[in-house]
Amino acid sequence: MRNLLTFLARFNNLILFLLLEVIAVYLVATSNDYHNSRMVKGVRGVTLVAEKKITDSRNYFRLRKINSDLAEENAALRNNFERLVQADTIHVFSVSDTILKQQYEYITSEIVSNSVNRQKNFFTVNKGSSQGVKTDMAVISPDGVAGIIVSTSENYSVAMSLLNIDFRLSSRIKSSGYFGSLTWDGRDYRYALLNDIPQHVVINEGDTVETTSYSAIFPGGIMVGIISEFERSGSDFYKIRVTLSTDFRKLSPVTIIKNIRQEEQINLESLNQ
Amino acid sequence: MINSILRYGGIFIILILLQVLFFNNIQFSGYVNPYVYIMFILLLPVVMPTWILLIIAFFTGLTVDLFSGTPGMHAGATVMAGFVRPYILRIIAPRDGYEPGASPSMVIYGFRWFLIYTTLIATTHHFILFFLEVFRFTDFLRTMLRILLSSAMTITFILLAEYYRKGR
Repeated sequence: MRNLLTFLARFNNLILFLLLEVIAVYLVATSNDYHNSRMVKGVRGVTLVAEKKITDSRNYFRLRKINSDLAEENAALRNNFERLVQADTIHVFSVSDTILKQQYEYITSEIVSNSVNRQKNFFTVNKGSSQGVKTDMAVISPDGVAGIIVSTSENYSVAMSLLNIDFRLSSRIKSSGYFGSLTWDGRDYRYALLNDIPQHVVINEGDTVETTSYSAIFPGGIMVGIISEFERSGSDFYKIRVTLSTDFRKLSPVTIIKNIRQEEQINLESLNQ
Repeated sequence: MINSILRYGGIFIILILLQVLFFNNIQFSGYVNPYVYIMFILLLPVVMPTWILLIIAFFTGLTVDLFSGTPGMHAGATVMAGFVRPYILRIIAPRDGYEPGASPSMVIYGFRWFLIYTTLIATTHHFILFFLEVFRFTDFLRTMLRILLSSAMTITFILLAEYYRKGR
């Protein structure tokens, strides 16, 4: 205590000086906005640097814990991922066809098995009745027509490929609008035949062939292929070879199209027959 | 005693009024601001308790602050000037020492002594004041230039005032 008092007595001027300077700086810092903000900024800068150092070193010592946490999280995510891969994801989206006033529903799916080398080719897609797939729905690839669903199970569906000698597709030449029936002759997976086009119609190689909506299965205007060659036969009709736009050898993502008014159309048509 | 208090009171009022009414309004191109009021610190008796000196310096600066709208800046600078004053007086002490009770004056200690004394204290004061004002060390040279120019101005005015006082 005595020492403290002598200390204070000895340095009283210095202490008073420092006290008065602190008061002055305090006044400067609090009374002027500019000095205040500079002061806060400076103090914040110092404390931020210190806090960053502290946090960095703390994180360094926690690395082992963080590592094991991440490993656990990885394992958990991997488990979730496995479950997700096996679960069925359903992607259904609707398109309103304003031209034909007809609504189609689209279901994306993947081909799980396919063949092109038989006379009656079928392919299987990984969506079935539980995802809303029914028979007589159209299947298209990103490039054009692929087939028609002929049977469904709970999670899979089998579609008759366009490459099937029983397949009939109502299709038309885009430029003239004349329609005919598209069939496959069982030879080459790249080509199909377009029948029933009368010979008075002017056609050219390279004309586009597209679907009609007459069958109530396909929407109109889906690309089928382009005319590669044609000849006038002895009958009234052309023999037209169509290069298919869909490459059936690498068919993978397909879209199943549901025609919501299919029943209505078929019922009405059957009444008049 | 009473006499000297009244005398210093008179000097204080005159210097503050001069500073607030006249010198505060002199600003040559933003660089030169003479602060002649520190002459009051200069003229205080050579021998006096430092704590009284510090408190007087603080309130002198605070008074100028109040009139200038710069709270704390002049107080801080003037306290610094008051704090260094005893050391400066000791360093530049004449050979035969100071007369007790005398105030530093050009008549007694000569022009050269008074010039050094004024220069040291005014520069110290201005250094603290201008750096407190800008409150940063960027534009250091610009601030130093302001300090030097203003110090020169202040010293000139203080010397002129001292001449006038001497002649009276």
